[in-house]
Amino acid sequence: MIELKNVSKEFVSPKKYPGFKGAIKGLFSNEKVRKVAVDDISFTIEKGEIVGYIGSNGAGKSTTIKMMTGILNPTEGTCLVDGIDPSKNRKENAQNIGVVFGQRTQLWWDLPLSESFTILKEIYDVSDEDYANQMEFLNRVLELDEFFDRPVRTLSLGQRMRADLGAALLHNPKVLYLDEPTIGLDLVVKDNIRHAIKEINEKYQTTVILTTHDIGDIEELCSRIIIIDEGKKIYDGTLEDLKDTYGKRRKVTMEVRKPDLLKELQLFQKIESVNDVQITENDYDSVLDVEGKTYTVSFDKHKMQVPQILSAVMELTEVTDIKLQETELAEIVKEIYNHGGV
Amino acid sequence: MKKLLRTYLPFVANEVKTQLAYRGAFYLWAFISLFSSFISYFLWMAIYGSSESGVIGNLTQNEMVVYIFMVYITSSLVSISVSTWVGYDVVEGRVAMNLIKPIDYRASLIAQAMGDMLYHLVVPSVFIWIGIEIYKVFVLGMPVISLPTLLLYICSVLMSFLLYVLFDFCFGMLAFFTTYIFGLRMAKSALLSFLTGQLIPISLFPEAAQRIFDCLPFSSMIYTPVMIYLGKYTGEELVWAMGRQFIWVILLYWLGSLIWKQVTKRLVVLGG
Repeated sequence: MIELKNVSKEFVSPKKYPGFKGAIKGLFSNEKVRKVAVDDISFTIEKGEIVGYIGSNGAGKSTTIKMMTGILNPTEGTCLVDGIDPSKNRKENAQNIGVVFGQRTQLWWDLPLSESFTILKEIYDVSDEDYANQMEFLNRVLELDEFFDRPVRTLSLGQRMRADLGAALLHNPKVLYLDEPTIGLDLVVKDNIRHAIKEINEKYQTTVILTTHDIGDIEELCSRIIIIDEGKKIYDGTLEDLKDTYGKRRKVTMEVRKPDLLKELQLFQKIESVNDVQITENDYDSVLDVEGKTYTVSFDKHKMQVPQILSAVMELTEVTDIKLQETELAEIVKEIYNHGGV
Repeated sequence: MKKLLRTYLPFVANEVKTQLAYRGAFYLWAFISLFSSFISYFLWMAIYGSSESGVIGNLTQNEMVVYIFMVYITSSLVSISVSTWVGYDVVEGRVAMNLIKPIDYRASLIAQAMGDMLYHLVVPSVFIWIGIEIYKVFVLGMPVISLPTLLLYICSVLMSFLLYVLFDFCFGMLAFFTTYIFGLRMAKSALLSFLTGQLIPISLFPEAAQRIFDCLPFSSMIYTPVMIYLGKYTGEELVWAMGRQFIWVILLYWLGSLIWKQVTKRLVVLGG
């Protein structure tokens, strides 16, 4: 459905200098700054997939989306959406896609929502029958009829986002691009939007590409995720794989009576000697908080088990409470951003 | 063609509706610009009063009255500032929202401008026009406008409209390079009020200046239709005047397409 081959995008802008003197210097200088927003990205997305496209702010997510929608032309490489090159046949491509930019609206600001839908019906050449069917469906999943006659500028953010999603889906596009569709929404609306996306994907086999900072969106919607950082693709695979690779660490926090006694503890040697396994320094990480009387160990769950740690600790001091944590996806993602790669 | 109409007609209709939503602002604007027409009316009356000849720049005093108010009507129909819209679209990053739809950005702007023109036609142009005709016949004792002249005027105004909008689209493209074009727009409207004959009839300028103006598209925007309305052009001159309008429409259309192609190539969408 979507095929990106070695796509790069470079922005060139005049060089800015700091301060007032710099502003004047800027008037006369002709120096340019090159910034590579997207650097040699390739991937293929099949029909009906929901792909989470994630990365930190400024990683190049929106730029990639803009190239796939035909707003920006790639500096290098080719991009094909359903066999059409958006940079060459923008209008043809636009007929096949629906786009929601969470921070913008494509609706007519001063007019009732219903007017925007009428105009979109004509733009996309939707037949009366399709329009009626699609509106019925959209009303059911997005509940647009509550505010269908109100001017768009009077809608709340949640209503506007639902309206925008509805507008993007009116012509039943083959591909739906969602750029931060749940930004700034409360939990209930977020949930509604996610349900709607899921239902549309199931009903029409719509391919969905979603950029978000909300881990909940990814966990609920995406079967596959692509992570980019500083314009480069650093991960492409299923959510489960990612969790398997990075989610193997667990964290146990123990409240102990006499933390001083644990200062000398060499946990991995202790466990190695008892259990006959090879453990390296990298497999675990321990923090002793003497003041708060806690001892925290994060470890590879394939190498060590909680009872082993517990018994090693309990040989030295009494444990009053323990807490066990699985790694969350948010932490995995954070770790990937920080380390800049898989 | 039918598809074209179906796609862009809603833009015309929506613009009329938007104008209705903000009609207070429009009435105020219409009133203020009519006010400035009265200022130039009184100024010209004083000039004619102190002049010996009674004919200034080929226009009699009565013709000057008609000229002043027809300029008002024509410019409210013709000068629809699409560059303002382009400017806002660029600053607020809305150009992207237009590019994701299977429509032509310029065509949608022209359709939108047409909505504005239709709205201005009803309020206040038609009423002022009727007022002018009544004043002309009963107070100035001039004959009522003939149907062929009126039709020629309408034709010429339509071309002026396209001419202005296409020119202003090209001008608005500057927003992509400078990001903010408010100041440039001010400069443009000051310059245009001279070059289009809005402030002073072009026939008042020295012969050499008039030759230069003939080579520019601006006099075709307002001066030409008003002169046609006054019946100042006949025969070959009329064909030339309207032919010039037509040629400028084609040239500016072509120029606009060329610039748009360059702009979309180096487009930077503001704001994420």
